[in-house]
Amino acid sequence: MRVLPKSLSGRLLATAAMTTVVALVLAAFAIGHVLEHFVMNGLDERLDAQIAIVSRAVGADGTLDVSKAIDLPPFDQPGSGWAWEVIGPVSRLRSVSLEGVDLALPRGRGRQFDRDDDGDSRTHERPRRLEGRDAQGRVIHYRFVALSTLRGDAIVLAGGPRAIVDRPLRAAMLPLLASVFLLAGFLALALVVQLRIGLRPLSALRQRVADVRAGRIRHIHVEEPTELLPLVDELNALIDANERALTRARGHVANLAHGLKTPLATLKLDLAQRKGDIDGTLKAQVERMEGQIRHHLGRARAAEAGGAVMRLSLIPRINDLSAALTRIYADRPIEQQLDVDARVEAYCDPQDLDEILGNLLDNAWQHARAMVRIRARIAGRMVDISIDDDGPGLSSDRIVDLNMRRRLDEQATGNGFGIAIVRELAELHGGMLALGRSDLGGLSAVLSLPGRVG
Amino acid sequence: MRVLLVEDDAALADAIARALRAEAFAVDVADNGEDGGHLGATEIYDVAVLDLGLPKRDGLSVLADWRIGGRTLPVLILTARDGWSDKVLGFKAGADDYLVKPFRVEELVMRLRALVRRAAGHAASVISCGPLAFDAATGQFQIDGLPLKLTAFEWRVLSALMLRKDAVVERLDLLERVYEGDADVDSNSLEVIIGRLRRKVGASLIETVRGLGYRLTAGA
Repeated sequence: MRVLPKSLSGRLLATAAMTTVVALVLAAFAIGHVLEHFVMNGLDERLDAQIAIVSRAVGADGTLDVSKAIDLPPFDQPGSGWAWEVIGPVSRLRSVSLEGVDLALPRGRGRQFDRDDDGDSRTHERPRRLEGRDAQGRVIHYRFVALSTLRGDAIVLAGGPRAIVDRPLRAAMLPLLASVFLLAGFLALALVVQLRIGLRPLSALRQRVADVRAGRIRHIHVEEPTELLPLVDELNALIDANERALTRARGHVANLAHGLKTPLATLKLDLAQRKGDIDGTLKAQVERMEGQIRHHLGRARAAEAGGAVMRLSLIPRINDLSAALTRIYADRPIEQQLDVDARVEAYCDPQDLDEILGNLLDNAWQHARAMVRIRARIAGRMVDISIDDDGPGLSSDRIVDLNMRRRLDEQATGNGFGIAIVRELAELHGGMLALGRSDLGGLSAVLSLPGRVG
Repeated sequence: MRVLLVEDDAALADAIARALRAEAFAVDVADNGEDGGHLGATEIYDVAVLDLGLPKRDGLSVLADWRIGGRTLPVLILTARDGWSDKVLGFKAGADDYLVKPFRVEELVMRLRALVRRAAGHAASVISCGPLAFDAATGQFQIDGLPLKLTAFEWRVLSALMLRKDAVVERLDLLERVYEGDADVDSNSLEVIIGRLRRKVGASLIETVRGLGYRLTAGA
C-alpha cells in the first residue's frame, strides 16, 4: 500500500500536514497542561495559606488550640466543599463547614500521610496533594502536611472543590482550541502558497520542454532554481543526443537508398539493352523492387520525421523549390503567383517541410497548363498554405479517394504515393492536407501546419 | 554531342555509357570526383552527368567549383538522393537538372538532349535550317521531311553545327565535341565527315570558313 501520494505537491502537502497536525496537537496539550498547572497552583496556594493558619493551632506537645484555628471564608460555609481538618495525636479540629463530620478521605490508604524520607524537619515540610470526594460526592482537591509533635504526627488537611479548577479550564479551552484551529488554517494557507511558489519552476520547465518538442525553442535555458539546473543540463544533452541519433538514422537511410538504387539502376539499363528479357517479366520485377524501395524509404522518412522541429520562414524555402522546379520544367513556361507574407513561419523539420512543399509544388507544376498559385494565410495557430494549378485537375471520385485517411502502409505504391507521404508528414507535424478543386480549374492542395506571423 | 559522365559505380557507368553511345553521344567516364572535376574544368563537353556520392571529392563541390571557375556547361545530377532538400542543394550548387536513380534510360537521354538544346539557346525542340530539320527531343534529322540516316560521327558533327546554326564553329571545338577523350584523332577525318555530310544534306548548307571552321546556314 502506498503511504505517500503520487504527486510532488501531494507528498509535500501530506508530510507538511501530518507534521503540522502533530505539532498543533502537542502544542494544544502542552498549553492545556500549563494552564491546568497554573490554575491548580492558585488553588494549592489558597489551601496552603489555610494550612499555614491552622498549623498554628498544633502545639509542640501534640495538643490542638481551638482559638488559633481561624475559619476564614469560605471555610466557614457548610456545603461549599471548602474544609479543613487537623488530625492530632490526641484530638481533632475541623472547619465550621464540616459541621462536626470528619473529612471523607479516600479509604484503604493508611500510608497516605507517611512522610517523605527527607521531610523530617518541620520547617521544610511542604504540603502534598491528595484527591478525594466529599459527602456530596464532589471531587475535592486536598493539601495536607504532617507536623511532628512530641506525641506523634499531627496531620493538617485543607481541601477545596476541584470544580473551581475545572471551570476556568473549560472556559479557557474554547478560545484555546479556536486559536489552534485558526493557526492550523493559517499554516495550511501558507503551505498552499509555498507549494504554488515552490513548484512553479516545475511547471515552467514543463512548458519549456513542450516548447522544445513543438520546435519553438531548441534548447532549454533556465537560470534558477539551482536544484533544477542539473536536470536542465541533462535534458539539453538528451535533446542533442536525440538530434545526433536522428541525423545518423537519416544518414543510414540515405546510404541504404544509395546502396540499393545504384545497382538497381544498372540492372534496369542492362535489361533495357539486352534481348534476354523477352516477355518483360524481369523488367516488371525490377520495377517492383524499385517501387518497394521507394515505398519503404518513404515510410522510413515519415517514421523518423518531426525530429529537428524549428521555426521556418516559408518564402525562402518556396523560392528555393521554385528555382529547382523552374529548371526541372525548363521547357514549360509556367507563371508562379506567390502570395505569401514574408513573415509567415511554420513549425516543422526543414527536410520534412521541403519534402511536403516539394511534392505538392512538383505535382502542381507537372499538371499546370500555365499557372501555379501559392498562397499562405494565418488561421489561429496554424498557417494554411494553398497550392493551386490551372491543369485538368482530378475527378471528384479521385479527390475523395485521395482525401480518405488511408495510411502510408496501406497505400499501394503508385500514383497517390506522393500525396500519402505529404499527408503523413503534415500530420506528424500536427498539420493536415486537404485536396479540392481550384478556382483556377485544376487541383487545389491546402496544407495546414502549425505556424505564425513572425 | 560529347558527355562527361562522373559515376563511381563501374557497372552503372558502363551501362549508361553504352546506352548513350547507342544514341550517338560521345562519352567520357570519370570514376571519381577529382578526375571528373578536372575533366569538366579543362575539356569541352556539351553536357555532364554527375553523381553526388563520389570518392575523393563530393559531386556538389565539383559542381560548385565548375561554376566558380566560370564553366557553364549544363549539368544533370544523377543520384540516389531523392529528397527535395537534396534537390534544392543540387540546384543551388548550379545543377540544371536532377534525375533520381533508378531511372529509365530514355528519360536520361531525353533530358540530356533538352539540356544541350537549351544551353545552345533554342527554346523549341525542333530546329530547322533550310530543308534540314533537327528534332532535339528524339535526335532525328529530316531533310525535306524525310528521315536522314547518319553514322554516330556524322550525327555528332551535324548536331553540333545545327545547334549553332548561322555561327562559325571552330575546327578544334568541333573535334572536341565529336571524339571521346581517349580516341585517336586523325585531323583529316573531320574533313572526310564534312564531305560525307555535304553529300547527304547538300553542299551549300555547310560552309567552310577558311582558317576558322565551319558554318551551317541556309544562305543569307
